[in-house]
Formats: sequence, C-alpha cells, structure tokens
Amino acid sequence: MNTETRYGWVSRLIHWLMALGVIAMLGLGAYIVRMEVGFSNLWLFGVHKSIGMMLFALIILRLIWHRISAPPAPMPAEAAWQDSAARIAHRSFYVLLVLIPIFGYIGSAASGLDVLLFERWKVPSVVPVSEAWEDGAFLVHSILTKLLAALVLIHIAAAIKRRDGTLRRMLLGSAEARVA
Amino acid sequence: MNKLIFPALVALCLSAVAALAGPERYLLDAEKSKVGFAVPFGPDRIRGTFPVREADIVLDFERASNSTVSVVLDVGQAQANFPFATQAMRGPKVLAADTHPDITFVSRSVAAQDGGAIVSGDITIRGVTRPIDLRADVFRPKGTELGDRAVLSVVLSGNVARSDFGATGWADLVGDTVTLDIRVQVNQAK
Repeated sequence: MNTETRYGWVSRLIHWLMALGVIAMLGLGAYIVRMEVGFSNLWLFGVHKSIGMMLFALIILRLIWHRISAPPAPMPAEAAWQDSAARIAHRSFYVLLVLIPIFGYIGSAASGLDVLLFERWKVPSVVPVSEAWEDGAFLVHSILTKLLAALVLIHIAAAIKRRDGTLRRMLLGSAEARVA
Repeated sequence: MNKLIFPALVALCLSAVAALAGPERYLLDAEKSKVGFAVPFGPDRIRGTFPVREADIVLDFERASNSTVSVVLDVGQAQANFPFATQAMRGPKVLAADTHPDITFVSRSVAAQDGGAIVSGDITIRGVTRPIDLRADVFRPKGTELGDRAVLSVVLSGNVARSDFGATGWADLVGDTVTLDIRVQVNQAK
C-alpha cells in the first residue's frame, strides 16, 4: 500500500510497467507508420494494438488503485510554478494514457477489421465501420501520441534533474535511504 | 441416279457437321474452376479466389464472335491468403459484400487473336460497371483427342484498377491494379 511519504510496490510496478510499455509503444508506433507493410511485418500492428490495450488496462488499474490506496503527495519543488507544472503534467499523462488507446481502438474498429488481443481474442466493436471515423480517430491518436512523446521527455528530464529523491521514491518507494 | 444421290448425301452430312460446329453451351465445373486474383502488397502479393455463383458460357469455335460469356462471382465467399485480407476485401472499404454481393462479367464481343481470343465485356464491381478486355485461351485436357470438345479448360487473364470501382480501401498499403487469373473447366451441355 502507498503511504503519505512512500509509494507501495503496486504503484511502482504499474508505473514502471507503463513506462516501459509507453516508451516501447512510441518507438513501435513511429516505426510501423513508416515501414513498408508486407506479410513479414504485418504482425507488428497486432503487437501494437495488444500492448496498447494492455496499457489501457494498466492506466485504469492505476486510477482504481489510487482510489483504493492514495499515492503520496508530490515532493515540493524549488519554485511554485514547478509544482503547478508537475501537477499539470501528471494530469495530462492520465488524460493522454486514457485517450490514446481509446482513439486507437476507435480507428481500428472503424476500419472494419477485427481488433484482436494477442491475435486470439476479438474485442467487440462498438463503433460504426466508417472511413470518416477511422481517419478522424487515427488523426487524434497521432496528435495525442506526439503530445505524449513530448511529455515523456519532459517527465524524464524533470525526474533526472530533481535531486530531492523524487526518482528514488518511484524506484525504491522512499525518497530517503533507509537508516539501519 | 446414284451420281445425284451421293453428292446430295455428302452435302447433307456436311451441313449437319456445320450445324454441329455452331455455338455450343458449356456448363461450369465449379470444383475444377478457380477465379483467382492477385494485388501488390508492399514487397508481397495478396492472392485469393472468388467462388463462381453462376456462369453461362456459349462457345463457337468456327466463329468466335458468336461466343458469349457471363459470370457471376460470390463476393461474400471470396478468400484471400490471410484472414485480415479476406475481411478487408469483403468489407465496405473494398468490395462491400454486404451491399454488393456479386461481381458480374458479361461479354459484348469475342474476337479470335493469336490462337486464343480477346473477350471484351463489362465488369460490375460495387455496382460500378466498366469495360474490360480479357485474354482467353482454350485448352483440351491431357489425353483427349483432337476435336474432342466435350471438356475444355479456359484460361482468362486481365487487369482491373480497383479505384475505378470505388474499391479504394487501404490504398496506402495495397496496390491499385488487380490481376485476374481465371482458370475454369467447362463441360459441353448435353
């Protein structure tokens, strides 16, 4: 469980799984939109969709978990604007991580092709088969993804720059080394 | 008297033979027939087949222009060589099988050319009709005698641009020119 000063292992595990997944997906997404598609690499679309759905599940799990076990408050920054910026960035992460897979799913489902989880389980389609929906959803998906990529870079830079134990707290749970 | 009867009999036989060599209706052997297609897909080619729903084939080997061909293909049962392509092909962005379940071809003229024929006609895809020329070659199966036309293999080939019919889905991934490779076996109607 989280405490007022510590991240519990569940929050940290979800955070780092999502970090790995998001960075991998940004790279994979950038690659598949540029590659020459053929039989040998068509499976990458399936991987992209499957990981995207898993990341969506993780962000929902994270939101639920933080309702059950509230995370510690952000560590105070050197300037008030930095606190505000960090708060906006964190909220933006949640919004983007919810919306990006939703719009990816809408675009995929609107194409008329089955959306499969790990090439096995069909995800029900709840949108009409429509090129307008498909094009619109993928456009939003693409724009939001670029915003997310920028946010990830800012987040990593800020985490490295801050020397107040913020990064350590997300890595090990506590901002301070345990005193034996 | 005999001198008159014999040429008359010969003339009668020849006219009967000429009548036999006129247009002949053929029935499609669906089991041994395949309407194939191929379309570029990046470095690869998507291939597949359409089942024939109906076919009406009349062949005249003496006057090719008397020959006629009409074929109806079943879009809803079309198959490609991987599942997503099958679904995409039948879907609204390509062939729209729900609203246009058939592809039809009706010949307008047949002209002998280089031992085969050029079959000119109209093809209707997604409700859009466009002219098309198909190269046709007719073969006897192995082991049959010269002049035996009871069973024939017909190979038709040609191209269509899918964009001409509004079948424009996934144009960024899949090529526009669809190559048709139709190999059918037909049996002379009795």
